[in-house]
Amino acid sequence: MATMTPTATAERGYRGGRYKTRSAGSRFMLYGLILAVALWLIGPVVWLFTTSISYQRNLMARPLSFVPPEVTFDNYRMIFGLVRFHAESQAARILPSMLNSLVVASAVTALNLMVGTTAGYAYARYRFPLKTLSLFALLFARMLPTVVLVPAFFLMLRALGLQNTLTGLVVIYCAFTLPFTVWIMKAYFETVPDELDKSALVDGCNRLQAYFRVVLPVAGPGLVAAGAFAFMLCWNEFIIAQVLNTKPGTTTLPPVIVAMNGQTNIDYSVIAASGFLGALPAVLLVLIFQKQMVQGLTAGSVKA
Amino acid sequence: MTLGIRLSEGRFALLLVLPVLLGIFVVVLFPLLYSLWLSFTDVNVLRTSGPAIELFGVRVPLFRWVGLQNYVDIFGDPLYWSSLWRTLYFVGAFVLEATLVGLGTALILNERFAGRPLMRSLLLIPWSLSRVVVGLLWIGILDFEFGAFNGLLYNLHLVDGPIAFFKDGFSALNVLVSVYAWNQAPFAALLFLAGMQSISADVYSAAEVDGAGYWQRFGYLTLPALRPILFLVIVLATVNAFLMLDLIYVLTMGGPGHDTTTVAWLGFQTAFTFFKFGPGTAILYTLTALCLVLAVVYHRLILAGFEPAG
Repeated sequence: MATMTPTATAERGYRGGRYKTRSAGSRFMLYGLILAVALWLIGPVVWLFTTSISYQRNLMARPLSFVPPEVTFDNYRMIFGLVRFHAESQAARILPSMLNSLVVASAVTALNLMVGTTAGYAYARYRFPLKTLSLFALLFARMLPTVVLVPAFFLMLRALGLQNTLTGLVVIYCAFTLPFTVWIMKAYFETVPDELDKSALVDGCNRLQAYFRVVLPVAGPGLVAAGAFAFMLCWNEFIIAQVLNTKPGTTTLPPVIVAMNGQTNIDYSVIAASGFLGALPAVLLVLIFQKQMVQGLTAGSVKA
Repeated sequence: MTLGIRLSEGRFALLLVLPVLLGIFVVVLFPLLYSLWLSFTDVNVLRTSGPAIELFGVRVPLFRWVGLQNYVDIFGDPLYWSSLWRTLYFVGAFVLEATLVGLGTALILNERFAGRPLMRSLLLIPWSLSRVVVGLLWIGILDFEFGAFNGLLYNLHLVDGPIAFFKDGFSALNVLVSVYAWNQAPFAALLFLAGMQSISADVYSAAEVDGAGYWQRFGYLTLPALRPILFLVIVLATVNAFLMLDLIYVLTMGGPGHDTTTVAWLGFQTAFTFFKFGPGTAILYTLTALCLVLAVVYHRLILAGFEPAG
């Protein structure tokens, strides 16, 4: 391969068709397809934002103008309680429920990182009794129809007096997020060379110290992936919160948005604004930590 | 800290996983068994005074045992069977759409072009949205009165009047399939892309030198290499489709009539709209059994397909 040019070397990491030899026609087709994919992926989200800064009357106008003829932040001001309107008592529930969502999702994420990470480490490094069985249990828990448990949760939480509390939601969400966290962390720790722990043990650390002082500090990307994923799952969860926390003020954001959507006297543009506002935290979180999340999630399930 | 030294390796590891296993036992395994019990009883949510067991000072009501009655009832209900066939259609259509769209998207994004990293970021957006928001935004597009798609069709003079996507049962079911695929296919694409990236570039170069065209390279190199991921995507999509509830809640509520009522929705509705926990858990348990089978398949796949060979 003495004739290999620098350009050819630069192309080594690339796996598709050859860019240089691509004809104008095929290049045109490729960019057309890419545009279609981009439109399919974010067109609907862009439209959600557009409706949230539009007046309902302009959304119903035919022919429809895809660039809003009037831009308004009234829909958002209604949610923030800055404008009085007929459904203000409904809209006033959005911000408190968002706070509830934040509290629940943060608590679950913290618990996940504390407990799930250590378990992931144990699964990645050690042999122990019940290992295979408990791993299968975790996998099954992850594929389980969570809704089948909800009647049991309903009766159990009522017996415990935890119905309509955030604590109840935190406990239940932990059960559904932990299997993912363990799985992601297990896959992550498998990529950390075990010479690291071994040399720490040789240097006089005990196993717990080796984990906390040597392995955990380099597990940052895995922790970020698992934490962001757990937060996203909790932030977006709807069915369990809807069924278990029915008392006004005790539930999270998704049930409140759905309740508003069920009211025929509330304009869609207001609902779109609350939907966009509600989607923003999870989407931003995922976009900020996308590198770690994509790595963590694909390694956690693909292991190729 | 001295504790760690004395423990054997196995016990130390067991100690590390204990909190998780305990949590899973209390919040998953116990409710799972309790739900199974409920499916054999006549649950009256308002009267919990009957027989009960005490667990750590908490009184868990047991209700009246009715044996297989709930299962006999649901299997005798034509609605259960029609929901099951509808669910099978939904699952089949969703798996097909999500897999093909995911694979197609991955193939496009695997090409080299300006802005490739940006496109990969965009993949994460539909997937990171709450299904409630996914439902809402598609209402904004498909609605009879204010939907943008109806507006577009009108602007292009393609229709005389707006299309009522949710009025016809079969159309509503297919809308559910496509909306859910919009939410899930990007993640499948992400998995496919990860798989494509793990294929060695040299193999492609060699094939290209040998004169293999794009589709030949896809058929003989890419697809065989993606087989384990393809299985993974299909298994996950199948489970997700069987269990999908939130989009039905936001978009159709199982209607019109029962035309978008899947088994999951029927069970959910029986349990929480009509508060018939006995039959409701029985319906949901038929789904659970199915998921257990799929979990075994998935487990086998992970053990067989995804560990590096040798």
